[in-house]
Amino acid sequence: MATQDHHHHQHLPYVVYPAFNPPNTGFINQEGSSFNFGELEEAIVLQGYKIHNDETKLPLYTSVLRPAATLDMFPSWPMRVHQTPRGSNSSTDSGSGVNVTIASRPESHSHIELEPESPMSSNTRKTFLEQQPRQQEHVLRQQLQHLQIPQQQLEMECEEGSPGGSSQSQQAPKPFSDKRKGIGSTSQKTLDAKTLRRLAQNREAARKSRLRKKAYVQQLESSRIRLAQLEQDLQRARSQGLFLGNGGGNISSGAAMFDMEYTRWLDDDHRHMTELRKGLQSQYSDGDLNVIVDSFVAHYDDIFRFKGVAAKSDVFHLITGMWTTPAERCFLWMGGFRPSELIKMLTTQLDPLTEQQVVGIYSLQQSSQQAEEALTQGLDQLHQSLVDTIASGSVNDGVHHMAVALGKLTNLEGFVRQADNLRQQTLHQLHRILTVRQAAKCFLVISEYYGRLRALSSLWASRPRETLISDENSCQTTTDLQMVQSSHSHFSNFG
Amino acid sequence: MQYQAATEYYYNYIPVSHPYYPTVAVDPLERVAKLAAQNAVVIFSLSTCCMCYAVKSLFSGMGVNPTVYELDEDPVRGREIERALVRLMGSSTAVPVVFIGGRLVGSMDRVMASHINGTLVPLLKKAGALWL
Repeated sequence: MATQDHHHHQHLPYVVYPAFNPPNTGFINQEGSSFNFGELEEAIVLQGYKIHNDETKLPLYTSVLRPAATLDMFPSWPMRVHQTPRGSNSSTDSGSGVNVTIASRPESHSHIELEPESPMSSNTRKTFLEQQPRQQEHVLRQQLQHLQIPQQQLEMECEEGSPGGSSQSQQAPKPFSDKRKGIGSTSQKTLDAKTLRRLAQNREAARKSRLRKKAYVQQLESSRIRLAQLEQDLQRARSQGLFLGNGGGNISSGAAMFDMEYTRWLDDDHRHMTELRKGLQSQYSDGDLNVIVDSFVAHYDDIFRFKGVAAKSDVFHLITGMWTTPAERCFLWMGGFRPSELIKMLTTQLDPLTEQQVVGIYSLQQSSQQAEEALTQGLDQLHQSLVDTIASGSVNDGVHHMAVALGKLTNLEGFVRQADNLRQQTLHQLHRILTVRQAAKCFLVISEYYGRLRALSSLWASRPRETLISDENSCQTTTDLQMVQSSHSHFSNFG
Repeated sequence: MQYQAATEYYYNYIPVSHPYYPTVAVDPLERVAKLAAQNAVVIFSLSTCCMCYAVKSLFSGMGVNPTVYELDEDPVRGREIERALVRLMGSSTAVPVVFIGGRLVGSMDRVMASHINGTLVPLLKKAGALWL
């Protein structure tokens, strides 16, 4: 007999007819969502018994099916049907029933683990096959035609989940006739126990999947609440102007405040830069240009003032350069740029200088270098003193030594202040030495230089990185280095 | 009383209260002024202060030989002078304080500012601390 596959799921072993057309295609498509296979299996089993064993029981079965003309019927089956087994030894007996309880399910679940095991023993199946395959078919056909729409629906559902399903079965593929007769063809006793066990397992699986779904939904709900709270906190923090910046967590409020001010200062810097550029290109008068130049100097005075305030609350933030970009940080000197370096860079850019100006610039470079050297030596002295204090702390006066160390650390603020003072004085002196136009050009060069340095940092951060594996040369270098390192450690053992 | 005149390579250390000077109850600021007038470059310092070390290093780097008074080495008068300097400078840190040619230059930031704007060297030359 030809099987008609209505969908990719397994087909019912015995009730597939060529003439069978599912009236409700929508029903088929909904099969995955809220389908109760546990109940379906029971229904199939029940039907199997009913159809070829007891015609009188069909109306009961039909009445059970009829209230559920749509897919919703399965979760809301109100009836609990309990039948006593009549005890039969042969599947051809007409009076057998099965002790099956059709429980009404309060909710539906989305999947069922279809039991691959056939409910019947292969022995009895084969026995039956030898006896009356075609007679059974005929009987089944007759009975099925009695049940009209509900039966058709059941058949469609049956096609979803067959207890002896072929496609999902993990056993070797059986002959079609076996599967067709599978459900109702074994002895009543075997079918009884195995079917019951299988049904119980399916119930259990259904219950477990319901619990899992419930837990997952609860987890989602709590995550949603947490997300809402986080968003609220973030909104609040943003409105208060706290800026997390590079540090991520663990950034002090003084440092955060300074970072915010610095960001604003950078925007101002860009504005000053464009003004200077415009002033030089458009050939402003000296008076107008002087205004721009003075505002530029004041702009730098601002940042030194902010840094002074920040040094009081968080000197480490300034001195480690966490407020700058990585490239700037690399060349950082005492929490900022090195004035002599800046002047060295400028001497190449400021071409038309009078001799007096040249002398002035040169002596500026000299004095800034000397001042830098003095401050560096002073900081080294502080460093050494701190090392001595921390190293010499004994168990007894550890607290005292820590207090002394803390006192020494406060001197750091003084050094950062003096370094900023040096930078400020250098810029002021440049302003004094140069003419207005020269000063405008000089300050433009300074702005552009640091702008490019900052851009270099972001380019560096976003550069494409090649993997070491693909690059043979670097791989070789790594191996060599590893060899050197391992040999070093090897030799150190003898030392 | 004996004072350890710790002579280092570049500095002249003179105890604040010298046995040859009459110990008169003088106002500390007057003492400061008196001491400042005695040498071309006078620095009031503390031996533990690192900024004082920086200022000393600055002058020695320029080839100047300053006269340094370590206030913590004079237990009696040192603290008085320290307090007087605090009042004079109006800041919480008394030292370093630099006098050139008997005139007050100031603390580290004033010294550096004057060096950058080119006024320090002429001042030193005028006081006779620098010959170049």
